[in-house]
Amino acid sequence: MGGGLKELEQISAADFFYRNRSLAGFDNPVRATYTTVRELVENALDASELAGRPPKVMLTMEEVAEGRLEGTAVYMLRVRDNGVGLDPEDVPAAFGKVFVSSKYKLMQSRGTFGLGGTMALLYGQITTNRPFKVITGREGSPLYEFTMKIDIQKNEPIVLDRRILAGVTRRSMTTVELYFEGNYRRARSKIIDYLHQTAIVTPYADIMFIDPDGLFFFFARTTDQIPPPPKETKFHPKGIDFELLKRLAETTNTRKLAGFLTTHFQRVGPKTAAEILARAGLSPDLSPKRLSDEELERLFKALVTYDNYLPPDPSVLSPLGPNLWEEGIKKELRPEFVKAVQRPPAVVEGHPVIVETAIAYGGDIKPAGEIQLYRFANRIPLLYDVSSDVSYLVARRLNWSVYGLKSLEDEPIALFFHVVSTKVPFKTVGKEFIANKPELAREVELGWRACARDLRIYLSRKRRAASAARRVELLSRYYALIAEVLEELTGERPPIETVLAKVARKAKVEVPVEVRESGDGS
Amino acid sequence: MATEAESVEEIKRRIMEIAERMIEDIERGEFPSIRYPPNSKGNIEFREDVGYIFRPKTFSEIEGDRVKSVKTLAGVLYGLAKALDHLENGLTMTKRDFYYLHKVERLKGTLFPEDQRETDARIVLMELILGAPREAFSITSDPRGWIYGDIELVDMTGRTIRADRVGEMGYSVPPRPENIKFKRIGVKAVVAVEKVGPAKNMIELGIPEEYNLAIAILKGQASRSMRRFLRMLSDEGVPIAILTDFSPWSLRIAATVVYNSISSAHIPYLAAPEARFIGIMAEDVETGFFKDYQFALEPLTQADLKAAMDNVHLPNLQHPFWQRENEWFLKNKKKAELEIFKAMSPSAKELKELFVSYLREKLEDRLGVSI
Repeated sequence: MGGGLKELEQISAADFFYRNRSLAGFDNPVRATYTTVRELVENALDASELAGRPPKVMLTMEEVAEGRLEGTAVYMLRVRDNGVGLDPEDVPAAFGKVFVSSKYKLMQSRGTFGLGGTMALLYGQITTNRPFKVITGREGSPLYEFTMKIDIQKNEPIVLDRRILAGVTRRSMTTVELYFEGNYRRARSKIIDYLHQTAIVTPYADIMFIDPDGLFFFFARTTDQIPPPPKETKFHPKGIDFELLKRLAETTNTRKLAGFLTTHFQRVGPKTAAEILARAGLSPDLSPKRLSDEELERLFKALVTYDNYLPPDPSVLSPLGPNLWEEGIKKELRPEFVKAVQRPPAVVEGHPVIVETAIAYGGDIKPAGEIQLYRFANRIPLLYDVSSDVSYLVARRLNWSVYGLKSLEDEPIALFFHVVSTKVPFKTVGKEFIANKPELAREVELGWRACARDLRIYLSRKRRAASAARRVELLSRYYALIAEVLEELTGERPPIETVLAKVARKAKVEVPVEVRESGDGS
Repeated sequence: MATEAESVEEIKRRIMEIAERMIEDIERGEFPSIRYPPNSKGNIEFREDVGYIFRPKTFSEIEGDRVKSVKTLAGVLYGLAKALDHLENGLTMTKRDFYYLHKVERLKGTLFPEDQRETDARIVLMELILGAPREAFSITSDPRGWIYGDIELVDMTGRTIRADRVGEMGYSVPPRPENIKFKRIGVKAVVAVEKVGPAKNMIELGIPEEYNLAIAILKGQASRSMRRFLRMLSDEGVPIAILTDFSPWSLRIAATVVYNSISSAHIPYLAAPEARFIGIMAEDVETGFFKDYQFALEPLTQADLKAAMDNVHLPNLQHPFWQRENEWFLKNKKKAELEIFKAMSPSAKELKELFVSYLREKLEDRLGVSI
């Protein structure tokens, strides 16, 4: 980003989050355990992907002491990634300061709250008063170990110890080790679900987890293809709010309004900027820093009501693509059929959005008596509030019988929905379900219908093959009897085998199992 | 009397031919099939002077390569094999027997029947395939029906029998009457009576002996064997009169004796077109014999009424006479039963007079027979 977002990075202090921790998913020990794991895993995956290599994430969790509350315990959580590693000078700021992360930029990334793992570190510190450790190194450079705390009031890192563990790092890596109080026992199934679903949406990642009971979970990658990384871009005028505009205006390095608009927004050239400023009744030569609130408001109105922008640039997005998507579903759920579809870019509230859908059928997927819906936003599994999600509403509304399905609840079918966007349209602060926006619902519906069309073809082929097999079986039974009776009548047994072989050959319409061999997923 | 088509040797030959042809098909690497004329509407004609006739224009194929018909094919073959076995050993079977021949271990998963309707339907199919009545391939129908009167016949066993010297209801018509030979017929006419009670009364009152009549007891719908037997008598030149209730069902009973029925249209010699219906009819109730006894009429039941409505469309009831009779039911919703004679006659003597006067009037009127 051009301009001066640097100062924005300090807009909030760590203690704001300390007071509002429920917003960030730390409201109780169970949820906090899950959120801690999740934040660190997502950070690790992002780090590795940025390095352009298949992520390898190793989690270890150990129970080290009893907690203060019933059922809680103090845990040590260690998360190691194979990302590029950090420059030792950046470590204190990167881990010890809320809001320093790559996430407060306009680019698709995982972090739900734009906090990276810092919130988790903060939570650990609050509940255990123990410092955390960061071990990081870049290939060929020394490997450093930092022992740190966060000064909550000042939002400043406190480095307690910094040492070199090895003169040369063999492979770039970062390990974060922290202590926190939580409840693993009750968070366990959610955490495993989370890792399992993360593996679905990240088939190119190795994810290992040794839990406090010593159980080893390994979600192995089956491909080394990584989706192309997203590009950073400027804001699209339709996707901003007043606060953001105000901050941009306050911090910009540009001197004139015309330049301010063309510098900080995509799809705004000199001509468009002139039109917008004319509508706002503002001179292009005004200094953005000197605008009154009233003038800013006029500018904001003109920016968001102008209708002739090109749609936002979707190259900031990094969808999985149908092949990787199918690969992930195949490897984790082993269905007999899977079909994934990537919808063309759309726009929701000024932000580019790409919806990816998939349908899997049969194999290890069994009827569950309820809709089996896997939801993802920017490659993060969404595990809560399914029934409010736009995709769930679409799933309920769609007429599946058109596709040869009696009911989603009683069939071995799973639906998948992945939305990628620079601003995922979550409905609530909890960020667990996607708002029911008509543009989005339409994308989900068209995506699933495309998948379902293929499923229908597959199912009808399969049913035809099954009925052909039944036919062979039935004819064989009757011809055994016919041969017997004819032999009784004439003393001669007719060669029914040749006739039956003919039908059997004809019936051998190969069941086209869509499950391709695991591999490059192409 | 047995036609050539119905001879045991011919039936055996046909069964073996079907088996051989199936083997040939299979040896050629093809699925076997059996072609037959179905007893569908298009293959049945109706003519007032001969009744229903089976005149196949279209043929059906029981195809051995289809899931839907392979069971029928195997079923027919199995049925024919069982029939052949019975024929060769001089054994007969009933429809129930035939059903039980399928309730065997080796047919589990194939022909083991759910109920008797399955195997009954196959008997009809076998009749169509072989072009012969079931009796010809050893499946006997209910031997229902008797005849009482001065008729001397030689039955299948070679015994000579007088039909008024064999029990109180006379000679019981056997399943395969075509093997009977008439030696002497001493009656002026045969009166076929629907109901057992009135028929027995006529016998008990000595009417057959006194008036040279034979009484045939149908006991409801005339059985196939009874119809065949009446046809044989008709072919011998004996006038046949049909006396039934006056009800929608009885019209059918009478018409079946005269014209045969759709369901057995493919079996020849079951119609007796020379036979005449002598009542009870509408005019008897309205203005004739029973006009003063309308109080003894019975109301039509729902089923009766339904039958009357169906009668409107039955091919063998299309003659204006039958339709006029039938309209009476639809209009009046009443019926007269043969037992109405009892309502008219408190004493036995009077009953005999009533029977005789009714028969005299009707036989004269409908058949030109004087008694």
